[in-house]
Amino acid sequence: MRTAGNIPVRGWRDRIFSAAAFFFVSVFIVFVLGLILTDVFYVDSKAVVTVLTSRFILHALWMSIWTSFMTTFIAILFAVPMGYALSRFRFPGQILAEAVVDLPIVFPPLVAGLTLLVFFSQTAIGRWIQDDLGLEFVFQPKGIVLCQFVAAASFAIRSAKTAFDDVDRRYENVALTLGCTQWSSFRRVSLPLARNGIIAGGILTWARAFGLFGPLMIFVGSFRGRTEVLSTTIYLEQSVGNLEVALAIALLLIFVALIAVTAIRLVGGSALVKL
Amino acid sequence: MICAKEISFSIGTFELKRLSIDIAEGEYFILLGPPGSGKTIFLECLCGLKRIKFGQIRIDGCDVTNLEPRRRGIGYVPQDYALFPHLSVEQNITFGPRVHGYADANINETANLLGIKHLLSRSIDGLSGGEKQRVALARALVLKPKILLLDEPVCALDEVTRQKICSQLSDIQRRLGLTTVHVSHNLEEAFSVADRAAILHDGLLQQAGTLDELLRKPKSEFVARFMRCENIFCAEVTGRGTRDSQTSVKLGDIELEIAGRHSGTLMLMIRPEDVLVRHGSAYNGKGGNLIPTTLVRSRDCGGYVRVELDGPIKLVAHLTHAAFAELQETHQPDIVAELDLKNIHVLPQ
Repeated sequence: MRTAGNIPVRGWRDRIFSAAAFFFVSVFIVFVLGLILTDVFYVDSKAVVTVLTSRFILHALWMSIWTSFMTTFIAILFAVPMGYALSRFRFPGQILAEAVVDLPIVFPPLVAGLTLLVFFSQTAIGRWIQDDLGLEFVFQPKGIVLCQFVAAASFAIRSAKTAFDDVDRRYENVALTLGCTQWSSFRRVSLPLARNGIIAGGILTWARAFGLFGPLMIFVGSFRGRTEVLSTTIYLEQSVGNLEVALAIALLLIFVALIAVTAIRLVGGSALVKL
Repeated sequence: MICAKEISFSIGTFELKRLSIDIAEGEYFILLGPPGSGKTIFLECLCGLKRIKFGQIRIDGCDVTNLEPRRRGIGYVPQDYALFPHLSVEQNITFGPRVHGYADANINETANLLGIKHLLSRSIDGLSGGEKQRVALARALVLKPKILLLDEPVCALDEVTRQKICSQLSDIQRRLGLTTVHVSHNLEEAFSVADRAAILHDGLLQQAGTLDELLRKPKSEFVARFMRCENIFCAEVTGRGTRDSQTSVKLGDIELEIAGRHSGTLMLMIRPEDVLVRHGSAYNGKGGNLIPTTLVRSRDCGGYVRVELDGPIKLVAHLTHAAFAELQETHQPDIVAELDLKNIHVLPQ
């Protein structure tokens, strides 16, 4: 068993405590790996070939990847200024504003899809956006990104706020005395110091967006070759009785997620440690 | 150079109350006070990190009250230094020049001045407290500010490093002719660097002056106690002394004479190092301010011995090791404390 940092001399009670903690770690990891292995053993080679050669499934994979990354990019674009503002400025109604930011984390993702559908089909503003501005979201690929954004952006904003909270204001103060404006102290000091937390929030956002299912089914449906993403494909395949294919797609989803999380970990350094 | 006039600032329940301080050009000024007295807030008001509610701050005759921190020409070293952890030592020092667009800033002069040239490629994480302190100082000095503000710059250092850094600070200040404001709660630090000092308590300026003035002529009981005077007594004037220029006072069961003409109730202060102590055999019950006492407790404080004396009044005296050894030679508990007239200070009521 490896432990990090400087460890004190430990007695037998401490060893029992460490062993108990590691027991829970082991149980969880074994359980998750067991589930994945069950899928692996259940899936036959025919299903794998079907998944890897199906034009529609590969399209769904591509849709899942680009929409989730686009959502993450937009979410971070919002999260950085919002996280900084919520962390550094005090304003009337701040508690309410923070509660609203956290709401999408709390309510079931399905609600996001329903609400968006009602907004764009039943309200004047929604119809104006769709019909007059020509920005169509309902049952359109653009809707996937919007739906994922609503359901997942809060993770990025919350993480960014926490990351900026962790940056000591004295760094910014010193930067101000060294010639910085507030913008340049943000750019040169706060942003680099909050980087890991922002990346961690990005990973959570991406994970939520990549695996999103319920609200997408409601808001954009699952049209083959158009709005189908991997999570909805799994549902469709298992609903028509192709359980092996559904599980093979699930394994593909897990594989892509593993690659993405590992790549981000390598790029983002210690970001995942904070997750 | 720095003229802070009736500065008021409040945060939560704390308030800086109409604080006025003048600091001359090239002066090393130390701001003393217990924790929570408002020293750091005052410093932050000076460099523009806190917007004052009322009052005015002038630097070099210019009103800077509403000027941004970056336009005030002030170098600031905060408590714990706040070195940017994502930058190397060199990047920390060149931070200011880079912000100002001096891409080819020569930091060697500053690095040599502070003896940190060998640290330039290091990261902040591995530096010792003293090294961090010098890097923070270099970062503030590289822009050649007119004023240097130091917030408890040596409080986290060990005694030896503290003394070394203090003498280095003093040398640099004199060499560069910098007007320096240094915040501390430590008297030794003040004596090792400062030309003048001020004492703050609960957001109020208690007294400003030379350290000798604060030590010998405190204007309040708080200042006297902060300057480590333990002998503070309440006395009643009983009449004129043996000379016209003296006053006789009753202090507990004994009569003392003090310099000057006074009336009513007085607060007297005698510094522990001004209490002269000798053997009881020397006491004949008459003469000046001689008080029979017994030695209750003694403690070696390194440079001196602190003795507690009990008698008609309780006194604390600081003796040299030689004087204390001489006192102990006779093994007699009875001793006499002598208080010279000129060493009894009357605190303003």
